[in-house]
Amino acid sequence: MDTARYAELFLTESQDNLSAINHALLQLERTPGAREPVGALFRAVHTVKGMSATMGYTLVAELTHEFETLLDMLRRGDGEVSAAVMDTLFSAADTLERAIELSVAGREDEVDAAETIAALRAAVSPAHDGSRGSAGPSKRKKRVAARARVGAPPPVTVTVTQEPDTPMPGVRAYLVLERAKALGTVVDVQPTPEAFDADAFDGCLTIGVDTGASDDEIERVIRSAGHVAKVEVTRAGVSDDAKRIALPNGNGTALSGSAGRASELVAARQHRHIRSDLQRLDTLMNLIGELVITRGRLQQLASAINDPALMEAVTQTSRLVADLQDGIMTSRMVPVWQVFDRFPRVVRDAARALGKQVDFVVEGQEIELDRSLLDEIGDPIVHLLRNAIDHGLETPDERLKARKSPTGRLTLLAARDRSAVVIRVTDDGQGIDRDRVLARAQELGLVETGRAELTDDELIRLIARPGFSTARQVTDISGRGVGIDAVHARVRALGGTVDMKSVRGEGTSVTVRLPVTLAIVRSLLARVGDETYAIPMTHVNETVHVELDTIRHVKGREVLVLRDDVLPLLHLRDVVRLPRRDGQGGQVVVLEVADRRAGMVVDELTGQQEIVIKPFDAAKDGLSVFSGATILGDGVPALILDVSSLF
Amino acid sequence: MSHTVLICDDAIFMRTMVGDILQQAGFEIVGEAETGVQAVEKYRQLRPDLVTMDIVMPDMGGIDAVREITKFDPQAKVLMCSAMGQQALVVEAIQAGAKDFVVKPFQPSRVLEAVQRVLG
Repeated sequence: MDTARYAELFLTESQDNLSAINHALLQLERTPGAREPVGALFRAVHTVKGMSATMGYTLVAELTHEFETLLDMLRRGDGEVSAAVMDTLFSAADTLERAIELSVAGREDEVDAAETIAALRAAVSPAHDGSRGSAGPSKRKKRVAARARVGAPPPVTVTVTQEPDTPMPGVRAYLVLERAKALGTVVDVQPTPEAFDADAFDGCLTIGVDTGASDDEIERVIRSAGHVAKVEVTRAGVSDDAKRIALPNGNGTALSGSAGRASELVAARQHRHIRSDLQRLDTLMNLIGELVITRGRLQQLASAINDPALMEAVTQTSRLVADLQDGIMTSRMVPVWQVFDRFPRVVRDAARALGKQVDFVVEGQEIELDRSLLDEIGDPIVHLLRNAIDHGLETPDERLKARKSPTGRLTLLAARDRSAVVIRVTDDGQGIDRDRVLARAQELGLVETGRAELTDDELIRLIARPGFSTARQVTDISGRGVGIDAVHARVRALGGTVDMKSVRGEGTSVTVRLPVTLAIVRSLLARVGDETYAIPMTHVNETVHVELDTIRHVKGREVLVLRDDVLPLLHLRDVVRLPRRDGQGGQVVVLEVADRRAGMVVDELTGQQEIVIKPFDAAKDGLSVFSGATILGDGVPALILDVSSLF
Repeated sequence: MSHTVLICDDAIFMRTMVGDILQQAGFEIVGEAETGVQAVEKYRQLRPDLVTMDIVMPDMGGIDAVREITKFDPQAKVLMCSAMGQQALVVEAIQAGAKDFVVKPFQPSRVLEAVQRVLG
């Protein structure tokens, strides 16, 4: 078998399963007696086991086998889900994740699973290891067992794998389903019969059926459908995606607002999808980028020729290109839950390590973002969450003293705001100690002594300075001086902004604002000297013509009085190190970043255009005022101003 | 005693081929039908142990024929013969009562396996 071809597929599917494993673990930790999370865990681990064995990843297969053995024991009610067992399960999930990544990367020999495997084995046979679990049957186990015996037989999960060269596997799957119906009531089928006929159907289906038939009888009946390579019968709860997906918010308070959303999410996940290599979409995006540039040139040429028929054709082409661009951009959009999914686990681990109690709520999981942006924003959000748990939220004792609930509340929200996506991390912790930030700033000579207070604006700008950490001690979680400054740098590189509000004693909220997509932005074109520069419209508030005599000076700095506002005034000529023109007024672009505004004088505004961002390593060359370059309609290159760097 | 078979297909070529495969395996071909209507008539007459049924036939297609035959004899064992790309039709035939299917081009082993499954 050409495994290389399947490796990527294996990785993607394993990641889905790992995500399911983490969700189920979190739920199991909250409700240790529950059956569904154990069933969900078992299924996910089992799937990975089958896939890894097929791929020849023996270590992953061995690890999942031991993992499965422990889960099987728990599923049968032969063991208690103690804190020690939970730790073993969590660490097994982590080891599994690393083992999968290394195996796919062809570095299986670097996998170190021995310790985890030993721990899993020890948990299975606690008699050999007195420190783990309890050897005798616990009360709870008896209760679970008793409940399981009462009433209807629990549904049986039948996993059927077809022979590899089965003709019409979809129809054959349908026959399998018909056979299963003869056994009893089919309560669940994965994939659904509508998906049998899809190209993605791999000849493997899972059927939940209420039946009194024995395992052997089930296998015989299913095999009679023909072309069946393998039948596996597991007796557990049936797949319940709805519950599994609700898990991240699965505790009382959080669920109240998100139950409806969970079912929407289920619906969203059941849409028919194809997996596509992101590189292909990137290539398409680049091509459409070139097309947009060419369209600009075509429009210019056509308007110069001014032939009505040509103009009409060009206009129509433009419209089609715009639609195409829209379509491709939409195809790159993915809901944020694809990345947010792993955060409940991150929060849980951080909270545990720091002895905090956290109620974590995620809102707006269905909001969509460009795939490549979403990948980039994952780590910064992890930073923000960890920061909030480490520095924001207090320990349960401290919270009780402050007359707060011992459990802190941490919210991650995603929302659309015009052409931007807003991501906000809010905690109800102690807020930032402004006095300490002020003292530290004065110590570093960043703020003049004698100042008594800092504004929110100054606060974020100080905290975002590289190395400006006031953390009392360096922990594993944060406080290594790579907190908010790293986030700030990352977000700015993506063309976004970071904003912060903090109230002492009440909490902190950090807002990240990002463009919906990276590659194409509408920009204002401004000329100084012979050069044209592009200013992304997301940061343009308005443009005004200014006569020289309306420019005032305050404390030696130029300001612009615009209606009732006083805005600091910049000159693009200064920014690009050209001499200023004397005695002339000019166009002023009013720039806006977060809640701050400033005016920037340019020689001339030459128009608006969709520009395609060509990345270049500006910062490395010391040109940090530019975030990229583009090629304009007339084929001339132009630099794109990084507006947030001007403030 | 060998099993009796009724072969339904509008193409002589296919009838001959299926017939050869089954005869060599020891089945007794008791009848052939070229249309759906004929298939239903001959089933009533011959009560064969097994029917192989083409999907697309003139004068009542295979699916309707399966429906009629199963109405007459719920225990009837019908094996559908399908061409590639007829997934939806095969599913319909199964819903109508067909017990299994084979996909053209026929491989003798595949046909015989399917027949064995149908005869249980």
